[in-house]
Amino acid sequence: MSTDGTIHARGIRKSFGPKTVLQNIDLDIASGEICCIIGPSGSGKSTLLRCINGLETVDQGILKVNGENFGYYETDSAYHALPPKKLAEQRTRVGMVFQQFNLFPNMTARENVMAGPVLVKGTDKKQAAKRAHELLASVGLASFGDHYPAQLSGGQQQRVAIARSLAMDPEIMLFDEPTSALDPEKVGEVLSVMQDLAKKGMTMVVVTHEMGFAREVSDSLIFMDDGFIVERGDARKVLRDPKEPRTRAFLEKVL
Amino acid sequence: MQPVIIERSETTMSGMDPALKPRLRRRSTFESVAWVVCSLVGLGILISVSTNPNFKWGVVAQYFTHETILRGLMLTIFLTFASMALGTLLGLGLAIMRASSIKPVAATAGVYITLFRGTPVLVQLIFWFNIAALYPNLTIGIPFTDIGTAIDVNALMAPITAALVGLTLNQAAYMAEIIRGGFSAVGKGQIEAADSLGMSGAMKMRKVIIPQAMPSIIPATGNQFIGMFKETSLVSVLGVAELLQSAQLIYARTYETIPLLIVASLWYLVMTLLLSYPQAKLEQKYSRTTSRLPRKAKKVVLTAPEGIAR
Repeated sequence: MSTDGTIHARGIRKSFGPKTVLQNIDLDIASGEICCIIGPSGSGKSTLLRCINGLETVDQGILKVNGENFGYYETDSAYHALPPKKLAEQRTRVGMVFQQFNLFPNMTARENVMAGPVLVKGTDKKQAAKRAHELLASVGLASFGDHYPAQLSGGQQQRVAIARSLAMDPEIMLFDEPTSALDPEKVGEVLSVMQDLAKKGMTMVVVTHEMGFAREVSDSLIFMDDGFIVERGDARKVLRDPKEPRTRAFLEKVL
Repeated sequence: MQPVIIERSETTMSGMDPALKPRLRRRSTFESVAWVVCSLVGLGILISVSTNPNFKWGVVAQYFTHETILRGLMLTIFLTFASMALGTLLGLGLAIMRASSIKPVAATAGVYITLFRGTPVLVQLIFWFNIAALYPNLTIGIPFTDIGTAIDVNALMAPITAALVGLTLNQAAYMAEIIRGGFSAVGKGQIEAADSLGMSGAMKMRKVIIPQAMPSIIPATGNQFIGMFKETSLVSVLGVAELLQSAQLIYARTYETIPLLIVASLWYLVMTLLLSYPQAKLEQKYSRTTSRLPRKAKKVVLTAPEGIAR
């Protein structure tokens, strides 16, 4: 397995029925880059993220994740969908953190973190438990391994969810509005875990409304509207001095 | 200075502190009338039932633990457990097929469920009993060769086999719908989380979907169980000597129809009540699903201090 951690897209198009949600999307994310995607609701930013780990399929265009065509193999005339096993393997290399955490409620925090390695990779249980403990410790939840998700606060659940994704040793981590469902006072604890992760050189794509996080942690910023990428560039530069009037209008409202 | 306690002028009326007076429930006239009428009707029925000699309570008592009746009861219990167990397994298979993204597989399960839920179970039982009319011989062997053996379907479909097959196949269709309902109660996010970890379809089913569907499946299955216990009485038409048929065998000889039907009914009632208790417990246990707290979670005590993200 190579350690690539890049995302490359050209001309991605995606529609749900008659509604086009992604149009002409180009994306180049380098290994270790932190990229924030911002934009109003319904702008397609979540859909773009979901395409990158195969929760949605793209209709058209090139999508390479970790240097491989994602979910498809290419022949002279077409892209052919990969068999489920191969797709699952590609997915294990891309971690996803959801807005609603989506922890498995029937498993403890530790079991949640162990689920991927044990069930998918066939890792030895003892070894996986040890690793799960380390990961939970790294998100500040070392003593919470035996707790069920329902016994944890939103912020704690989201940190377990991050640990669960990290347990698969992904090259890329995707965050879909990871703090939007949290109490305002719990937002910080999740962001600081993400900040730690960024320092360790993980490639991260973050759909967020946290402009502070974008400014402090992000390398690049993408502003999306109506299925298009309207503006992209250095995160601080775009936030300070947006080129496009649409970006400026949006930032004026949220900042 | 403001007064600390509000003036108690009413106290003088009865000498009682108005703040401590009990608040009484309102009894409507209808409630009182209902009490009287229902008591009278109940009493009347009781007197009639106990004094009418045609009930022959002595006969009821005599046959309540009669060997034939008890043997019938055992067969009824066996049929209930066997057809529930097999029906649930087959139903689970059908529910998984129904949820399949492969059209022919899902459609097969759909047709099965429609057929078996859409026709009366009594008709199905008689049908399986007479299946030999359609296929007199069942040959098990390798196609296009002479290797194999032929089985006489008439001999195979003994009444009890037909009963078991009929009840199981019918129950499977109902269980499939219950289990499918449970599956669809599992959130989309859960499936996406499993997908993003790279879980295979079977793994997702076993570790994520089925465990979370259980809270809605188990109480409904308990209901089916109680229903099945009474449904087994239908197989008496095939001549299977279960509880009802046993009672019928006796009264065909003694002409004590009503007392023996009472014997059978009492046994059905006793068993249903016995099954209702665990059923109520199960429902209680799983009705807390809104809190999404699994059972084991109760044992964990929150003592550790909250960790701080670094």
